[in-house]
Amino acid sequence: MSPNSVEDSSSPPRSVEGPSRAAEIRQWLDSYIHLFGLRGKGTALILGLLAIAWVSAGIYKVQPDEQGVVLRFGKWVETTSSGLHYHLPYPIETVLLPKVTQVNQLQLGTARFLAASANTADTSHERQMLTGDENIVEADCAVSWRIKDAGKFLFKVNNPEAALKVVAESALREIISRTPIQAAMSDKRQQVAEQTRDLLQTLLDRADSGILVTQVQLQRVDPPSVVIDAFNDVQRARADQERTRNEAEAYANDIIPRARGEASHIAEESEAYKSQVINLAQGDAKSFQLIYASYAADKDVTAWRLYLESVDEMLKKATRVIIDTSGKGMSGIVPFMHLTDKDKPETVKEPPK
Amino acid sequence: MNAKLRLVIGAGAFFLLWLLSATLYTVSEVQQALIVRLGAPIGVVNEPGLKFKLPLIDSVIFYDRRLLTMEPAVEQVILGDQKRIEVQTYTRFRIADPLRFYNAVRTVELAEPQLAQLVSSSLRRELGQVMLPSLLSENRSHIVELVAKEVAEKAKDVGIDVVEVRFHRADLPLETSQAIYDRMTSERQREAKELRAQGFEWAQEIQAKADRERTVILSEAQRQAKITRGAADAEANQILSSTFGKDPQFYRLYRSLQTYRQALANAAPTIVLSPDTEFLRYFKTGPGTLTKH
Repeated sequence: MSPNSVEDSSSPPRSVEGPSRAAEIRQWLDSYIHLFGLRGKGTALILGLLAIAWVSAGIYKVQPDEQGVVLRFGKWVETTSSGLHYHLPYPIETVLLPKVTQVNQLQLGTARFLAASANTADTSHERQMLTGDENIVEADCAVSWRIKDAGKFLFKVNNPEAALKVVAESALREIISRTPIQAAMSDKRQQVAEQTRDLLQTLLDRADSGILVTQVQLQRVDPPSVVIDAFNDVQRARADQERTRNEAEAYANDIIPRARGEASHIAEESEAYKSQVINLAQGDAKSFQLIYASYAADKDVTAWRLYLESVDEMLKKATRVIIDTSGKGMSGIVPFMHLTDKDKPETVKEPPK
Repeated sequence: MNAKLRLVIGAGAFFLLWLLSATLYTVSEVQQALIVRLGAPIGVVNEPGLKFKLPLIDSVIFYDRRLLTMEPAVEQVILGDQKRIEVQTYTRFRIADPLRFYNAVRTVELAEPQLAQLVSSSLRRELGQVMLPSLLSENRSHIVELVAKEVAEKAKDVGIDVVEVRFHRADLPLETSQAIYDRMTSERQREAKELRAQGFEWAQEIQAKADRERTVILSEAQRQAKITRGAADAEANQILSSTFGKDPQFYRLYRSLQTYRQALANAAPTIVLSPDTEFLRYFKTGPGTLTKH
């Protein structure tokens, strides 16, 4: 073999080999041959048994979660499903048994995330990616994948798992680079994860990787720790905004019903006034009518009687009566208002004790 | 004689084994092989399986047939708008033509730096023409496709088939991060301020509206109350005047008497009377007038 040969870097998952088992069997047989004294025609027997052992070494079992990939002199000739199978014994054929149904997890960012707890600028810079609006976010995601096609997975790509990691990171960064920061952190998260999954699958299929990405989960999309305060303040501002509005609405809800109450109070009061005034007027009118009816019977006497009764009443309440002979008084209505008004108005205005 | 025969048989068997091992070789599913006869490559074996070669004269060089990934270190590139970015690419390729590959570069270890150089120069050329915003858009994949195409064209000469070139990462360098952080902070502050001010705006709007509504409600009520009171007064006047109008003279008398009795009597502890008043006529003249009359 040439020194320039390229070594296969990914070791086959499990290979069933003949010779070590054959050696065991031969030893075991030898002991029996000694025991039964078959030493004479031993060589043929041993060769025969060896041949049987060699041929039977080709029996292999494929577990339900595996696929059997049979290689004849390194050439892929057959893919078998679960169950008991036979391949030509080593070194003609070998079988690889990759686990095809097992879902594997690939964590992007976590190892670095743990390292970043020491918070060196370098590691956190590593995790950062540019968003569509030239901001920076730190994003982690988990990729779940399984083998879609064992043959492609084993033979088409060198070190498919390492390649998957690189491609997945590239896909995530590309999708984030098209998304504005706010969307990536909140309402478009799901969309970012789905787009990453689709892009990743497209890239993997283009490279014939034989890998099926079952899920991409965005775990953490945060602004860098240096600016996280400012981002939190936006959240607080949003809450403040809501609170201020609620308070104003509370104020409005408080004063408007009160105003309506007051309004109906005013309305009721005026209605009450109306009823009162009209009732009083009607009462006055009625009483006047009655008195007038009685007056009409004998006008002169009733008028004098009413007049004198009033004067009685007035004089009864007065503490002092002065009869002024200056003769300035007018007939009918007593003109004393002027006098008292000039001299001591306070006595006029105050009612008697 | 017998011993000699055994020796010959043994030597023969040994020779046969050596011959087998020197002529037979296997090419696995992940490999391809180049046959080199006396230092000159003469053929390529693409099919995996059990193969023959001439012993001693021929040697076999195996190459990987699978897709290989190359990821050169991060490099700084200047964009069309003079912004610096840190770019890391990855290139996926396979050895398509082992013969050319052998002649040009021999091994993958030697090929990678050359390929990286190709990618780097092509990338610098393409990125030198674009602005940062277009790198942060759908355009990104278009840009790398151009790079991939160019690299693929050139890599063909060394027997390499470049399947894809993509950005692993494209970030601003650490030195400019602080500026970005400051901008992000100021943007958030702007947003926070706006949100708070907007909250104040809404509050003012709501409060002022409520105040207005209260004033309107109250004044409407007051207007209605005034109308109601006026109507009531008018109606009362109408009732009274229609009644009192029957004999205005008596009304004046009757109403004046009421005033004397109530208002005047309550107001005045001192009463000054003129003797000319009608009711003091007898007080002044005595009963004589009655006879005269």
